Amino acid sequence: MTPVTSSPLAGSPSALVSWVERIGRGTRQRIADFGSTARFLGETARSFGEVRTWAPLFMDQARRLGVDSLPIGLFIAAFTGIVLALLASYSFTGAVPLYFIGTLVGKTVILELAPVLTGLALAGRVGANIAAEIGTMRVTEQIDALETLAYDPLAYLVVPRVLAGTLMFPVIVAAAMVMGIFCGWAASGLLLNVSSAEFLKGLRLFFQVFDVRYGLVKSASFGLAVTLIGARRGLNAQGGAVGVGSACTSAVVYSAVMILVLDAFWAVTWLLGREATAP
Amino acid sequence: MKNRTSDLIVGAVVLAVIVTLLASLAWVQQSDFGQRRNEVVARVRDVGNARVGNAVVIRGVIAGRLQAIELAPAGWVHVRMKLDRSMEMPPNAVVLLNESSLFGEWQAMILERSALPADVTVRQQIAEATGERNVLAGASLPGIGKLTAVAGQIAGDVASVAARVQVAFDDQAARELRSSIRNVADLSTVLSTTVRAHASDLDTVAVQLRAAVTSLNKTAANAQRMAEQLDASATSGEVRKVVDNIAVASVDLRRATLQVRELVEKFTATQGRLDSFLANGDSVLKKVNSGQGSLGLLVNDPSLYRRSDSLMVQLNALVADIKANPGRYVRLRIF
Repeated sequence: MTPVTSSPLAGSPSALVSWVERIGRGTRQRIADFGSTARFLGETARSFGEVRTWAPLFMDQARRLGVDSLPIGLFIAAFTGIVLALLASYSFTGAVPLYFIGTLVGKTVILELAPVLTGLALAGRVGANIAAEIGTMRVTEQIDALETLAYDPLAYLVVPRVLAGTLMFPVIVAAAMVMGIFCGWAASGLLLNVSSAEFLKGLRLFFQVFDVRYGLVKSASFGLAVTLIGARRGLNAQGGAVGVGSACTSAVVYSAVMILVLDAFWAVTWLLGREATAP
Repeated sequence: MKNRTSDLIVGAVVLAVIVTLLASLAWVQQSDFGQRRNEVVARVRDVGNARVGNAVVIRGVIAGRLQAIELAPAGWVHVRMKLDRSMEMPPNAVVLLNESSLFGEWQAMILERSALPADVTVRQQIAEATGERNVLAGASLPGIGKLTAVAGQIAGDVASVAARVQVAFDDQAARELRSSIRNVADLSTVLSTTVRAHASDLDTVAVQLRAAVTSLNKTAANAQRMAEQLDASATSGEVRKVVDNIAVASVDLRRATLQVRELVEKFTATQGRLDSFLANGDSVLKKVNSGQGSLGLLVNDPSLYRRSDSLMVQLNALVADIKANPGRYVRLRIF
């Protein structure tokens, strides 16, 4: 055996190896995360087949995630509509006819603000709720108990929430659209002295049914993303209350980011190159 | 029990939202559920930026909406409009698609044919679109964008012409021409002064001549009287002869006097005409100096001069071009 020398350069090869190992480990973990996420999505999709398991739970989740979230969605939309009308009036003064307030409120609420703001609010409420609930079940081994009882935890816990979120988000957003435009109209009439006829003229000027369809489809994708991310983070929770809290935080953050990414995705894929006034 | 409550609540909320959304959509789109509207079709060659949902206006009142815009055979476009049933169509109606504001809104205006704007293009479009049964003739006015483009083109042409005029007629040339015209004006003033001075001399000469002639007449009269006295008193033949000679001389003198008188009269007439000419000339020069009339404008208005000079330049160019390329202007064919 040759003794190891104490040269300053002696540690360099091992440090380099350690650095390369860290890169490899990080890459492997990313790929593992990607793979486990893909497997989670695949297993969730497969669990949709177990209708008897998730169907009885769907309505309860639809009420908790959807109907109970309606007030926050309407509240946000109401103030958004009012502020939009005031901002439009402030921006248009002296240059653009005030009936364009209706156009701006309608287009902005329907296309962007109602889906995205409601989505972000529900990402906090619904995403955190799902992550906390499932995470607690994970750390208290209730999910293990479900598996022991031959229940599919995905069909029992994830599918009804994902379905409820995907279907109820558009309902909430549709109500938010109506509320936002109504409050913008009321603010225009009460605060800005814009007559109803003028507001409606602007609202109808560039209105298209496509805008509503776009907003609703977008909100459905937000619901899907928020519930899937919440469920995934909850199922991966570890280490007791701290782990559950961490899962909630990451669920909210990832959901918010995903909403903005999906917003850009739909804009690029569906709006780009489409004429604004086309029938 | 819990599931049934959830079912009820979720169902009620979903139904309420769907009904509200559909009702809002129908209201915003002004949907015609009860068929309370009449459909009117117009045909045009080009709809411009008109879109489905734009307003249909009769005498300034919104009477309906554009329902559909469809391509039709033979290069036509059919514009379907839904009008309120209570709206009465004007007699001999035509449809004019035009911009209703500067913000890109278009409208379909239904009006009487006689109320069409006095635009040749529009009337041609309407005349061309007339003829299909149950379809109104239509035309479209150019949008602001198109008008702006045309205005920009015209502005470019004007700028080009101005640049060419600038090249052909610079400030130096304008100054020289103005100086030349001023010189001509000064010359005419001097000429007027000279003529006036000579006219005064002529007046003096004429007066003196008239006085001389008057004296001559008196002298002649005295001589004749003396001759008659001599004739009456003289008895000798020589005296008689002298007197006869004097008489002859007197006759000659009278004839000469008459000729001088005629000359004086002619001279007086000539002087009158000369005075008139000078007065007219003076009046003309005053007008020229005050800028009245063509010559006055030419002297005082540089733009007229510039135009005339530009015309001369263009004429010169034309003549040069004709000389250089006679075949372009004159074509001689023998057979």
